[in-house]
Amino acid sequence: MKTFQSVAQFKTYRESFLATSDQNKPCIVICGGTGGQASGSNDLIRIIKRQILEKDLHDKLALRITGCLGFCEMDPFIIVEPGYNLYPKLQMVDVPRIIDAAVKGEVVEDLLYREPGSTVKRYSEKEIPFFQGQTRIVLGQNQHLDPIRISDYLKIGGYAALEKALQKKDRAWLVDEILAAKLRGRGGAGFLTGKKWELARNMKTRGPKYIICNADEGDPGAYMDRSMLEGNPHAVLEGMIIAALAIGATNGIIYVRTEYPLAIKHATLALRDVRQLGLLGKNILGQGIDFDIEIFHGAGAFVCGEETALIKSIEGKMGEPRQRPPFPIQKGLFGHPTCINNVETLSNVPYIINHGAAEYLKIGVENNAGTKIFSLVGKIKNTGLVEVPLGTPIRKVVYDIGGGPSGEAKIKAIQTGGPSGGCIPASMFDLPIDYDSLAKAGSIMGSGGMIVMDHNTCMVDVAKYFMSFLKDESCGKCFTCRKGTQRMHEILEDITEGRGTPGHLKLLFELAQTVKDTTMCGLGQTAANPVLSTLKYFRDEYERHITDKRCDAFACKELTGAPCQSACPVDTEPWRYVALVEKGDYEEAYRVIRSANPFPAVSSRVCDRKCESRCSLGVSGGEAIGIRAIKRFVTDRVDPSAYRPKPAKNKGKEVAVIGAGPAGLTAAHNLSILGYKVTVFEAEQVPGGMLSCSLPAYRLPRDIVEKEIQTLLNGNIKIEYGRTLGKDMTLQDLLSKKFSAVFLSIGAHESWRLDLENEDIEGIHPSIQFLKAFNIRGEQLAKGHVGIIGGGNSAVDAARVALRQKDVTSVSLFYRRTREEMPAYEEEIDAALEEGVRIETLISPVKIHARQEEIDAALREGVELETLVTPVKIYSREGRVVGMECIKNRLGDVDATGRRKPVPIAGSEFKVELDTLIVAIGEKPQSEFLSAMGLDVDQGGRIKVNSKTLETSLKGVFAGGDLVTGPNTVIDAIASGKKAAQCMDRYLQNQTLTVPAVPKRPSFFIEPAVIDEVEAQTSTRAEPTVLPPAQRLKNFREVTMVLPEDQARSECRRCLRCDLEFTRTKAAEQPAAAAIGGGKNG
Amino acid sequence: MVNLILNGLSISVEKGTTILEAAKFYGFPIPTLCHKEGLSPYGACRLCVVEIGEGPGAKLVSSCTYPVEEGMKVRTASERVLKARRIIIELLLASCPQSKVIQDIASRHNVRQQRFRQEHEDCILCGLCVRMCKEQMMAGAIGFRGRGKNRSLGTPFDMKSDVCRLCGGCMEVCPACQARCTFNQPEKAICGGCANLVPPCIEKDQFHDMMCYMSPCVACEIKKD
Repeated sequence: MKTFQSVAQFKTYRESFLATSDQNKPCIVICGGTGGQASGSNDLIRIIKRQILEKDLHDKLALRITGCLGFCEMDPFIIVEPGYNLYPKLQMVDVPRIIDAAVKGEVVEDLLYREPGSTVKRYSEKEIPFFQGQTRIVLGQNQHLDPIRISDYLKIGGYAALEKALQKKDRAWLVDEILAAKLRGRGGAGFLTGKKWELARNMKTRGPKYIICNADEGDPGAYMDRSMLEGNPHAVLEGMIIAALAIGATNGIIYVRTEYPLAIKHATLALRDVRQLGLLGKNILGQGIDFDIEIFHGAGAFVCGEETALIKSIEGKMGEPRQRPPFPIQKGLFGHPTCINNVETLSNVPYIINHGAAEYLKIGVENNAGTKIFSLVGKIKNTGLVEVPLGTPIRKVVYDIGGGPSGEAKIKAIQTGGPSGGCIPASMFDLPIDYDSLAKAGSIMGSGGMIVMDHNTCMVDVAKYFMSFLKDESCGKCFTCRKGTQRMHEILEDITEGRGTPGHLKLLFELAQTVKDTTMCGLGQTAANPVLSTLKYFRDEYERHITDKRCDAFACKELTGAPCQSACPVDTEPWRYVALVEKGDYEEAYRVIRSANPFPAVSSRVCDRKCESRCSLGVSGGEAIGIRAIKRFVTDRVDPSAYRPKPAKNKGKEVAVIGAGPAGLTAAHNLSILGYKVTVFEAEQVPGGMLSCSLPAYRLPRDIVEKEIQTLLNGNIKIEYGRTLGKDMTLQDLLSKKFSAVFLSIGAHESWRLDLENEDIEGIHPSIQFLKAFNIRGEQLAKGHVGIIGGGNSAVDAARVALRQKDVTSVSLFYRRTREEMPAYEEEIDAALEEGVRIETLISPVKIHARQEEIDAALREGVELETLVTPVKIYSREGRVVGMECIKNRLGDVDATGRRKPVPIAGSEFKVELDTLIVAIGEKPQSEFLSAMGLDVDQGGRIKVNSKTLETSLKGVFAGGDLVTGPNTVIDAIASGKKAAQCMDRYLQNQTLTVPAVPKRPSFFIEPAVIDEVEAQTSTRAEPTVLPPAQRLKNFREVTMVLPEDQARSECRRCLRCDLEFTRTKAAEQPAAAAIGGGKNG
Repeated sequence: MVNLILNGLSISVEKGTTILEAAKFYGFPIPTLCHKEGLSPYGACRLCVVEIGEGPGAKLVSSCTYPVEEGMKVRTASERVLKARRIIIELLLASCPQSKVIQDIASRHNVRQQRFRQEHEDCILCGLCVRMCKEQMMAGAIGFRGRGKNRSLGTPFDMKSDVCRLCGGCMEVCPACQARCTFNQPEKAICGGCANLVPPCIEKDQFHDMMCYMSPCVACEIKKD
């Protein structure tokens, strides 16, 4: 390379590159940035190189090793130009096929990118939503150049802006251009770069003037500055030289942290090349300007990203900020005027000079021109670097570009701006991302970190994490920042470990305000943001930690204890009975289960397994322990007589329970044990409520329900059948007669209506009536082709029951969203499909809790599923249903529940012929008569209660179960019955109804099993066998079998025993401690 | 001269004066811990914050480091200032409850209890001793080490500094105080207390060329314990 002495010479040289690029020669592009290398791209590069050598492909194929391309989730990936075919997450064996195809101009179909869960192939990078949503004016260049080759940068028009800047002698226009482009500092505060340059230009000084590029990027999870310096160092240098020309700087410094070795390497190589060309150093291109840049390695203190601390650090002093004014522009490095710009700010400069301010202003929104790079990380599908125009709504970045949540949990919030930023809740995702909106919402733009959090993230824990970071990274000079962050961390620690008091919240808020107000530098002034923003938007989470001692995200260990136990609504200790089964002590295991849950056999069949969804083994990447199957094993094996609770002495008071469902019977049983006489009034002729009338026998055999209920009854309980509240008696009657308190648990037995014409004609049944008719009276109401509308558990139950009725030929399920959004249990849906049910997806106006597994089960049984359809009309002939008209939907934007809204497609109506239609779009309690008796009832027909005590608005009347929550799970009903019994006992004994909460932690030590490495790594989850679909047709035999003993016990051996952390006694630890001590002494 | 409004009063002071100096001159007391005449302003204790500006642009700045500006409006005891100051005093009390200086400031501000977990620290890292040592005693024997919660005060590697003359200046200015007397062990980091002119309790030969003005002699007090 030769050194140029004039702009014209350089121009000729530069332009000679523009023509050389061969657009048609296939080129393999692979990311060699830090992220790519960490994912294994180095191995791929080695193979590509060897292949090119071995097959002699030099003339046919080019290889370009670039910096970070942004799509880090898919690393290591290869893009093949000119078709821009993107092959994600490659293995080494895939590479030769790609090379062969690239040379022939073909595409390797099976390796192409698909969105997770989709089968649609994306042939070109430009078709991928991740890239489509972005405007990559800065980051986009990375793909087209090898950062260590200046020729690549020149090929794409690099240094044209510098050339332009050098051509005119008066360089004030550069400042004007940047000012006109309204470029704001990308480091976070958003000060107008043009303004800063103007101030710097106007500073008269006899000594040197500095321009510093701030590449001290310290935010956890943020790496866009690193990627810029790694992937396109010349753009940064070009911007920096232009800045130097504009402000008249004589010295430039790139302050980059030592933790970025690749960035330092690439920047060093780039500096060498630029110096050789004569663009840097003495007398730049013969223009009489001296300017040189050096690289300064920062030692990695977070605070050194703050400009005054950064200056101190370069000066060789302790990196701590000082009070401004004077600003660095006036008195900076070594006392000389210093202009400090962020890497990304400088990278934007060449674009503005090349294209003009007017063009730049077209990107983004008013006062927030241009684009911003974010590093999108956390619980998101597409982790990576995202460059979007300022003013883009958060929703677009998170759902369209980011692809939504990575797991099953819904997205709860994003955190922007690194440790000093704030959290923005999902309800505010329409907020445009720009400096002013984010500041208004209590966060900051910061350098561009964007951490996505889902419902498994505890916001208190997040605040604690950032405080822990800041208390270590605060320089410690000013008292409020040093002590303030320490004390905030201390308070948050208290809250997350169960020592929080209501006073803590006020103190925390006051302290955070003070820290924000009184600290010296930017670090301290924003340090309180994580606390303030979470306090503002997630105060309820703080309160739950403090008053209920619960962490709903299961993140705070001291409040969670063993996750399976914490997750259980009835406080069962699954870890304990799992450990007991492993030891073979089944009776004791039964007692553990039964002491917490009066319906162990029922729960072992129909519980929705909250414990398993929180199992540490499951959430950490393995398969959750099959806790319900183990419980089934125990309850099938042990006779209920193993547990006989002893009733307390008669307390002389009587209680009435309305409704003999799981909630009512649990309350009655527990109250009878506590020494009360209980009378249960049941409207039907059988006990069990939903257990008997709604849950199908193939899931829950009738004899199991009957046997379980019999064990709960004792001398203190009397059940009166056929007695209906509102018809046979009133609340006032009961309270004025012999009963001191009443527990209402009449469930939710009224179906929501479709509100379509002809809904009341023959052949149309609300699902609950349909199920009741069959389960209690044996009536088979369905015949011919049966249509079922809904996607919840009762829809799937109705489908599978219909399928088993004798006159039914086929069953179709219609749902308005897609299979993924169906609220029914996955396994049930599958089973239904397997048994022959057809599912079409359509309408469900209320939310019903259910799970995907149930859906699977239904599908396996042969239910046909039709998704994305909504019924609009019902056809009738001679007063009987003959069919309905549906309209197709597509999924629209994500709504408040985190699911995509169904949007009808005009003109897509179609007709379905039906003989029976079952409406299963949800149930609600029949509670009109209760509000007439003076109880508060909400719009959904639910009784309003104090959630802590279950008291209603009438004194002495308590309520629980589906009547309070709307249709809900059996286990939640049992839990509310249990809680009601406790609260009614306190009420009847004239005690305060609430007691201070304590965290649920394991408290009983059981020796862990000894498991060797091989067993630990090879064991897999034991799934109970199910009846094959052929054997299930037209009968109600129980579908799920019990685990055999050896499988049940080996399943228990997989348990990680989270309880041991809390229960391992001092005695158990002593020998180990002694051994260590002894070793030392010896 | 610079004209500004201080607590509603139009005043003019010399250019380069800090807000703290101006307020002091006009008789508005502002509490400070890390500021001392003759030492360079440091701005670490944040007790001296005052409110400047108006409306949404109003902010708190440390008056000891902020030079007066033409036309600025300063409030030395607005509600926002006092609220912040009280929390700072609570934080100080939580860390250093035994300091007489801090107790006095607390009682002047009517702070009678602190709500944090009680600690008993010797140092608030105000840096007075460091500046005293460097700027007045021209020694630079002590300084800060570490950052964040690990920040502490002392000599490099906790060894006695060659430039320390055991003058005791650091202890004289300390409001807290960490620069504790280390009894009669002159090889320890900072000392000076026992080097009384006539300390009866210690062997004289090691200390004959030292001076100390601490009264009573700290060495004796420690010995009594």
